[in-house]
Amino acid sequence: MSNVLEVQGLHAGYGAGDILKGVELTVAEGSVVTIIGPNGSGKSTLVKTLTGLLRTRQGDIVLKGKSVKDLSPPERVRAGMSYVPQEYNVFRNLTVLENLQIAHEFMSAGRGGKRGKPLSDEMEALFPELPSRYKALAGNLSGGQRQMLAFACALTVKPEVLVMDEPSAGLSPKYMTDIFDCVKRVNEMGVSVLMVEQNAIEALRISHRCIVMANGRVRLASDAAAVLGMRELQSLYLGDVKEAEAPASAAAG
Amino acid sequence: MLQTLFNGFVTGITMTLPALAVTLLFGVLKFANFAIGAMMTVAAYMAFALNAQLGWPLLPSTIVVAIVCGLLCIAVDVVTFKPLRDRGSITLMVASLGLGFVLENIARLFYGNSARSFAIEIARPFRVMDIRMNKEQMITIVVSTVAMLAMYFLLTRTPVGRAMRAVADNPSLALVRGIESGRIIRWTWFIAGVLLAVGGVLIGMDRAIEPPMGSSYLIAVFAAAIFGGLGSPLGAFLGALAIGIVSEMATLVIPPNYRIGIPLCVIALVLIFRPQGLMGQAHIRR
Ligand SMILES: Nc1ncnc2c1ncn2[C@@H]1O[C@H](COP(=O)(O)OP(=O)(O)O)[C@@H](O)[C@H]1O
Ligand SMILES: [Mg+2]
Repeated sequence: MSNVLEVQGLHAGYGAGDILKGVELTVAEGSVVTIIGPNGSGKSTLVKTLTGLLRTRQGDIVLKGKSVKDLSPPERVRAGMSYVPQEYNVFRNLTVLENLQIAHEFMSAGRGGKRGKPLSDEMEALFPELPSRYKALAGNLSGGQRQMLAFACALTVKPEVLVMDEPSAGLSPKYMTDIFDCVKRVNEMGVSVLMVEQNAIEALRISHRCIVMANGRVRLASDAAAVLGMRELQSLYLGDVKEAEAPASAAAG
Repeated sequence: MLQTLFNGFVTGITMTLPALAVTLLFGVLKFANFAIGAMMTVAAYMAFALNAQLGWPLLPSTIVVAIVCGLLCIAVDVVTFKPLRDRGSITLMVASLGLGFVLENIARLFYGNSARSFAIEIARPFRVMDIRMNKEQMITIVVSTVAMLAMYFLLTRTPVGRAMRAVADNPSLALVRGIESGRIIRWTWFIAGVLLAVGGVLIGMDRAIEPPMGSSYLIAVFAAAIFGGLGSPLGAFLGALAIGIVSEMATLVIPPNYRIGIPLCVIALVLIFRPQGLMGQAHIRR
């Protein structure tokens, strides 16, 4: 199996000093890869560097065999990298419909602007709550619906790889289940996924691979199932997992 | 009373175009551009040159000046503001003050301090329901209304307009939705230039064309944009009407000389009680 995404010796940061200190990882074609790690370990920084919001200081980012590290964020989008940010991931002063229209008009490389439905049948089935809210301002949606909208926008153009930063953060348990279910179904449609998650147990259940980050480096890359089984790893890296979930995960592993 | 209300309405609607320019520029570029007054002045003089000096009718003069002014704004941005973009909004604001000073004095250099006017025939005022109005006021109302409707269409129905609102809403999300910010910034300047040019001609038609004509509207225009909520196009429209009417009505109770204080009071009150303005949303800070 070939890789859609390869990250090689990546360095990046905000001011003086690097936050990412040589990150190495790969995402195999058609797989779901979950990144976990304690707060401040550089997960969001990694994702922002992948999408081009933060400059690559050293190393390389290879998407489908081509280096994208010198491309601007819009160019990376059109090269096939879709991104759902952690927060502020919809245009709040625009309607749901306008959010989707923008995604159609600007995310595809010349292919866009199609005067079709705002959501394909496939996407409508995935996000059934959206069509009834087209006229609503995105800022007035519930947290879960907002996440669904951001998700749908990122998928208006079928990406090579979908990058998500903590898609389940702050969501009610119902939406959390829905989000992971959506990720799974999107993956089954053939989209490779790289996601950062704090709700590690749920995320790893639908993942193929797991990457553990600490201090701006990859500490461990392994099969998701194997990580789910490691009790000591949970205590070390899944620090944010609620106590109540620990026994359930032991059963799963 | 009705007369004052009408006058206020006309004053307000004259300010809708520059107020919209202010709010669009602020939304996309995140700084208060104080050069807009002088930009209107320069546009009015350019229209004066075509209209009074070359003998063109005012309408084609205005159209040509609007397009030229839009392009000039793009050029001015590249030369003046673009190199400072990473320095923060205070630097950009100060730069705009300097730019306004330079532009106003370029106008003064060519045309001196004396007041000029367009070569248009002066029509006699007429009365409707006991309200005195004149042809220039009618033109102002019609042109501003048409321009506002066109802007509404542009901002809500075209990809560029939606993208402008998207960039104003959340610049980094706009980037990862594939929107080239450079292109949107150029469009914003062009549209602002067109609005300012038309606004400058309307003011020049209503009053005289003289170097401080644009900057004399600066405070009222900013009050309108702030009252409506900086960054909100609909707010700018409503804000301009409100400021125009309130300032004019205030002259019924206070001496007209103090009229200029009204917009300042509005700015102060808005900033104290509703910092996000009438239609604005609380600002996201990251
Ligand atoms: N915009 C920023 N400016 C400066 N430092 C930042 C910024 N965002 C994050 N950091 C720092 O980078 C480090 C990694 O943060 P982040 O990538 O957000 O971690 P994570 O997503 O894993 O919790 C932290 O020490 C954080 O303080
Ligand atoms: Mg994070």
